[in-house]
Amino acid sequence: MRVLALLLLLWISTAAVAAAASSQPLETLGIPPQDEAYYRGGVIKCRDGSGKFTRDQLNDDFCDCPDGTDEPGTSACPEGKFYCQNAGHSPITIFSSRVNDGICDCCDGSDEYGSNGTCKNTCWEAGKAAREKLKKKVATYKSGVVIRNQEVEKAKVALAKDEAELAKLKGEEKILQGLVDKLTEQKKLIEKAEEEERLIKEKEEKRIKEEAEKQAAEEKKAPDASQEADSEDANGNEQEGESKVSEHHDGHVTDHDNHSPEGKTSVVEHDITAGTRDDAPAETSAVPTKEQDPTSVNTEGLSKAELGRLVASRWTGENVDDVGKGDKKGHDDEFDIPEPAEAALEDEHDIPTPAEENYAGYHSEVEDDRHKYDDEELSNVSDDEYVDNHEEPDESYKSDDDQKSDYHSDLTASEQASWLDKIQQTVQNVLQKFNFFKTPVDLSEASQVRKEYDDANSKLSKIQSRITSLTDKLKQDFGKEKEFYYFYDQCFEGKEGKYIYKVCPYKKASQVEGHSSTNLGRWDKFEESYRIMHFSSGDKCWNGPDRSLKVRLRCGLNNELNGVDEPSRCEYVAVLSTPALCVEEKLKELQKKLDTTSSDLPGHDEL
Amino acid sequence: MDPPPLPRLLRLALLLLLVASPAALAWKKDEFRNCNQTPFCKRARTRAPHSLDAPLSLVAGSLAVSPDGALTAQLSHPSRPRPLLLRLSALPPHALRLQIDEDYSTTTPPHRRFHVPDVLLPDVDSRTLHLSKPQTVAGAAASTVALSSDLDALVNHDPFQLTVRRAGSGDPVLSFNSHGLFDFEPLHESKPEGDTWEENFRSHTDTRPRGPQSISFDVSFHGADFVYGLPEHGSTSLALRPTRGPGVEDSEPYRLFNLDVFEYLHESPFGLYGSIPFMIGHGPGTSSGFFWLNAAEMQIDVLAPGWDGAASTENGRIDTLWMAEAGVVDAFFFVGSEPKDVIKQYISVTGTPSLPQQFAVAYHQCRWNYRDEDDVAGVDAGFDEHDIPYDVLWLDIEHTDGKRYFTWDRSTFPNPEEMQRKIADKGRKMVTIVDPHMKRDSGYYLHEEATAKGYYVKDASGNDYDGWCWPGSSSYPDMLNPEIRDWWADKFSYQNYKGSTPTLYIWNDMNEPSVFNGPEVTMPRDAIHNGDVEHRELHNAYGYYFHMATSDGLVKRGEGKDRPFVLSRAFFAGSQRYGAVWTGDNSADWDHLKSSIPMVLTLGLTGITFSGADVGGFFGNPEPDLLVRWYQVGAFYPFFRGHAHHDTKRREPWLFGEQRTALMREAIHMRYSLLPYYYTLFQEASVTGVPVMRPLWLEFPDDKETYNNGEAFMVGPAILAQGIYEEGQKSVSVYLPGKELWYDLRNGSPYKGSVSHKLQVSEDSIPSFQRAGTIVPRKDRFRRSSTQMVNDPYTLVIALNSSGSAEGELYVDDGKSYDYQQGAFIHRRFIFADNKLTSINIAPDNLGKKVFSTECVIERIIVLGLSSGAKKAIIEPGNQEVEIDLGPISLRSGSRSVAPTVRRPNVRVIDDWTIRIA
Repeated sequence: MRVLALLLLLWISTAAVAAAASSQPLETLGIPPQDEAYYRGGVIKCRDGSGKFTRDQLNDDFCDCPDGTDEPGTSACPEGKFYCQNAGHSPITIFSSRVNDGICDCCDGSDEYGSNGTCKNTCWEAGKAAREKLKKKVATYKSGVVIRNQEVEKAKVALAKDEAELAKLKGEEKILQGLVDKLTEQKKLIEKAEEEERLIKEKEEKRIKEEAEKQAAEEKKAPDASQEADSEDANGNEQEGESKVSEHHDGHVTDHDNHSPEGKTSVVEHDITAGTRDDAPAETSAVPTKEQDPTSVNTEGLSKAELGRLVASRWTGENVDDVGKGDKKGHDDEFDIPEPAEAALEDEHDIPTPAEENYAGYHSEVEDDRHKYDDEELSNVSDDEYVDNHEEPDESYKSDDDQKSDYHSDLTASEQASWLDKIQQTVQNVLQKFNFFKTPVDLSEASQVRKEYDDANSKLSKIQSRITSLTDKLKQDFGKEKEFYYFYDQCFEGKEGKYIYKVCPYKKASQVEGHSSTNLGRWDKFEESYRIMHFSSGDKCWNGPDRSLKVRLRCGLNNELNGVDEPSRCEYVAVLSTPALCVEEKLKELQKKLDTTSSDLPGHDEL
Repeated sequence: MDPPPLPRLLRLALLLLLVASPAALAWKKDEFRNCNQTPFCKRARTRAPHSLDAPLSLVAGSLAVSPDGALTAQLSHPSRPRPLLLRLSALPPHALRLQIDEDYSTTTPPHRRFHVPDVLLPDVDSRTLHLSKPQTVAGAAASTVALSSDLDALVNHDPFQLTVRRAGSGDPVLSFNSHGLFDFEPLHESKPEGDTWEENFRSHTDTRPRGPQSISFDVSFHGADFVYGLPEHGSTSLALRPTRGPGVEDSEPYRLFNLDVFEYLHESPFGLYGSIPFMIGHGPGTSSGFFWLNAAEMQIDVLAPGWDGAASTENGRIDTLWMAEAGVVDAFFFVGSEPKDVIKQYISVTGTPSLPQQFAVAYHQCRWNYRDEDDVAGVDAGFDEHDIPYDVLWLDIEHTDGKRYFTWDRSTFPNPEEMQRKIADKGRKMVTIVDPHMKRDSGYYLHEEATAKGYYVKDASGNDYDGWCWPGSSSYPDMLNPEIRDWWADKFSYQNYKGSTPTLYIWNDMNEPSVFNGPEVTMPRDAIHNGDVEHRELHNAYGYYFHMATSDGLVKRGEGKDRPFVLSRAFFAGSQRYGAVWTGDNSADWDHLKSSIPMVLTLGLTGITFSGADVGGFFGNPEPDLLVRWYQVGAFYPFFRGHAHHDTKRREPWLFGEQRTALMREAIHMRYSLLPYYYTLFQEASVTGVPVMRPLWLEFPDDKETYNNGEAFMVGPAILAQGIYEEGQKSVSVYLPGKELWYDLRNGSPYKGSVSHKLQVSEDSIPSFQRAGTIVPRKDRFRRSSTQMVNDPYTLVIALNSSGSAEGELYVDDGKSYDYQQGAFIHRRFIFADNKLTSINIAPDNLGKKVFSTECVIERIIVLGLSSGAKKAIIEPGNQEVEIDLGPISLRSGSRSVAPTVRRPNVRVIDDWTIRIA
């Protein structure tokens, strides 16, 4: 058996070498088999209709048809294509410009027939490797399709559950709202009654007090010093509060003040820093150009190094403080705002705002990427690496900004019915018991109303927030078969250099270094029929666009994020392998391809 | 923990403010000195003609012929401390050199004024004529001296004035000090009491320890309609516009002061990265040139007629005022009947452009920055995937370890040799950047060495000058010193430059020098160079010396067998000997595309033929249509490189949709097909200095229509092209000079000469034509890079003129080595006349024994304007018969067959042959 295989191998390789060495006949050189018929006959038409040529002119190394019809086997026509059979591997079509250029493009070496066997036939090895790869890929797809189908099923169930929950919650909301409304009314009445009571009381007290004062005045008394001191104290507190506010806002300015002994210098520094990061409205308003231009400032008073950094920053766009310190730094820490502040900013951003106007201008080019990661390319080696990574632990985890837990903690499903009944009952009781027209108000009853109101209200807002989050969720595009449903509460992490990239579909993406995090974009949409997840309008790049991220999806058994890159400044790309992309049709396609490549083999593999 | 609400909101508002104000950065006028802020300029510029306090006159009786054949004399004025020494010498055929300096032999000025060394060719002195004794002009204090059979010089004694005249007619061509503005501030022995020599600009103080020493004078170009030259300035005008005089709005003079100007204006007389103090005057029937070899800051006014108050002005004369902060007068007057004569003479003193390697003439792909080895591999693969040829991939500053040149950032480029090898496997090269600022870092071997050897430029107090550039605190090697240049050159050896391979070439940037915290973003003028030379005296040549040292380094590295390729941003007269130059950090807008043509043409006129602008524009994101148009224009630049700032979006030519990819591919293909023609033109330039890319009037010197045409240009004698410089332009007016027809390069349609044609603008190309009477060699097979085209066959495109004839040349050598200097090349002239095409050898046979051989044949001969319905051609010798068929002009799908085409004559380019149309 082994001897046979060896013999076969020998035969195949010698045959192939012979084929490459003894050049193919001119009339078939570079012509794909399906086109051979086109070239039969004495006079052949140029495909673009520009003319015709005789059989003698076929592959005579002179371009008669500008579209290359007459020179499939030579480099004579710039627009021509050359077909290499690549027996033992897959046939390919290459640009005519590659024919006899001294570089081996076809594994069978047929493109270099003019350069005396510089190219060895490597199709057997290459084909074998490619088939192995394809096999692995098919295997991945097979398992992936299973996982995907499971997820699709789960998603259907879960979605139905979500919808049911939403419907139920809406019903509860309605009931609860009714109760709250009633209680509100009740509360208002109580408050009104109480207010009336209070006014009466006050009036009474005032009267008593006035009378007392009258008496006192008559006794003649010195002004009360302690009272005055009190009010002054209050004043001081207020001022302190204000100054704290401004200090916070201008935090770095104060910082500089501390460092520089001279008042003048610190003002200049403030100017610069303000220009690059924030802005100092009062100072810049006088000179309109300065306002827009952080580096055009009065450079008098700067140290030499500061001036150097400042001028360098024009080209680099780097934060002046960082220029020259590190070499790769600066890109990502323009927004040096401390963590809590950033969180605060994000709160602001959480309010959905219409897409930024300039967003459309920053569409990044996907063609390039598409090619890089196209999983249809069998020959693309890097493409199939993921196949070997079965053992990798799943790095995905539950999103931390999930609000569900909060809600469930006091409203678990099993308790819901009894809870609602209970509260309805209680409210009913309270309302019945309470007598609106009784004065004075029964304080114990009033406080009970208030308590019920607070309880009901807080429960209502919890329900409402759950409704909002569920509605938000259900609004999302989960894919044709809801295969991305389970992405909703997940985040995927990948490490690249010193950064950790965190991608939370339907939410946001960020780049984390230690304690500082940069927003790479908020969820925008799927693109290219669910093959790209687009995050946009992330943190602004100084002198550049808002940060954005495109995550290319490809079939893999685990959810793994890698290949994060920044091809243009602040426009990131990444690759996420996920079973969600392991589509059955594609599996069939690959399977077919595998079958044909295997059956095309001279002599067949299994022999 | 929660910040109070007010700051939170404020911060958001501030953030939004920051977002809303884009980088509206632009040229910062007030950071650069204008003439009024520059005392020497202000003094000279505001002076009225003939109003000098102490005009210099020639001391009667001092006029003599020195032993070396030059005319010498003393210039003086009673109020001056010392006389000056004048020297006049003649360089054949039509050049006069005027030198004026302090007389160091009789008295002792406190310093020697600086003479710019190593710019003039070493043999200039030996080529000077022995002048005959001057003749006294009867009845006037003046003398004449014959310079050649048809030129003489008239020297007026009081005040001193010089006029170069045509001998027969006595018509003046160039005159010096005819408006009495010549001033030469003598060096002071010491600072007068109470005087201050210090000059302050913004936060910088120039100590000026040697006091005022400026020079100014007027030069008139007689018979000139326009003057040209004086790079480098942003301009959409080819001719230099007047800067002063009637009808001129407030303008600065043209400033020559090498500066790194952030986001420079496309239209401004302010100085940019390089300086060439050479001006050409041209009018019908006369051309002249004036070159002042001086590397100090210079300001030049072009004066509008009537500027001096003269009511009637001589027809066709342009007056100019030249002002320099320091140095000496070392000036050349060139006279030509044609502009090419003037250029040739300028080249004869400053040197011929070096012949680039073949690859350097092809397309270059650059970006700040291709980040890592994967990025490099990806871009390289991208070109192959889209069948777009390119020859060189560039790496900007980020490839280094912390901006320490000659090192690699090993985290992104762990295997530079391997990376270069992979690129080289496809016949491609790489270029890395090496700038003059050395990081002041005790761990950096170059800094250590330079410090230990005392090789840095010193500051005014004698310490190593410490400036700021990319790496932070930096020092600058003193490239004026030949010993330091040698040291620098050695750093390029494979042994010293770790990670370099033979296919790696060099890019010199920031060599103005750029100093971020220096006055006007450069080095202080009172910094000290080798030989106690102040930086002010040589500033404009610093980049030149740096370029020279780098270029010499590559020659050394290749053991004198590999022609260097070094691109430099800064330049000076003579930079053409060391490599290419580009127009620096331009912007991605239509105006910058437009100004690139006058800028590149001007560089060509002043010797630097190997130049181009960054395709696409460095700053900003070009509209895709602009990018396409830029490729279409840039494909004609002698130096053709795409480049971009790191804040811009990726713009490799395949990123803008299939249609645009096809257009950019087409533009690059056009360049590749014309490579044989370009290379032939580069060879011509390397011998004569006549630039590859030429203003129309260089080819049509008598056609006034062409004199200020800065939109169209010639490539060699045969091709005319004009860019599309406006967005969405529908039609364009193209002036085609001369009497002969012009054939559209793409479809062969004929157009009449001497006519302005209104043409429909097509998106696939810019208007481009071949002039009737010319033959252009092409190679129509496109490869990955020019390397693979070496053995490909040629196409000849013959455009017949009205008498049915045409001529053209082809130069071929190995494209790499210096063997051509010993005869290893072929140089053919193709002549078509009387229905016969003949190839004759025009290579001189006395150059050496080396031989270049090639099997390349001519596969196709397209004859435009051939009227006969000829079906055959006969090749002699051998009487072999070949077919003639109608064929397209360019091999693109859908091209129509329009011109008689000789199919497969397959004659070798190295042979003599004749092809007869039967």
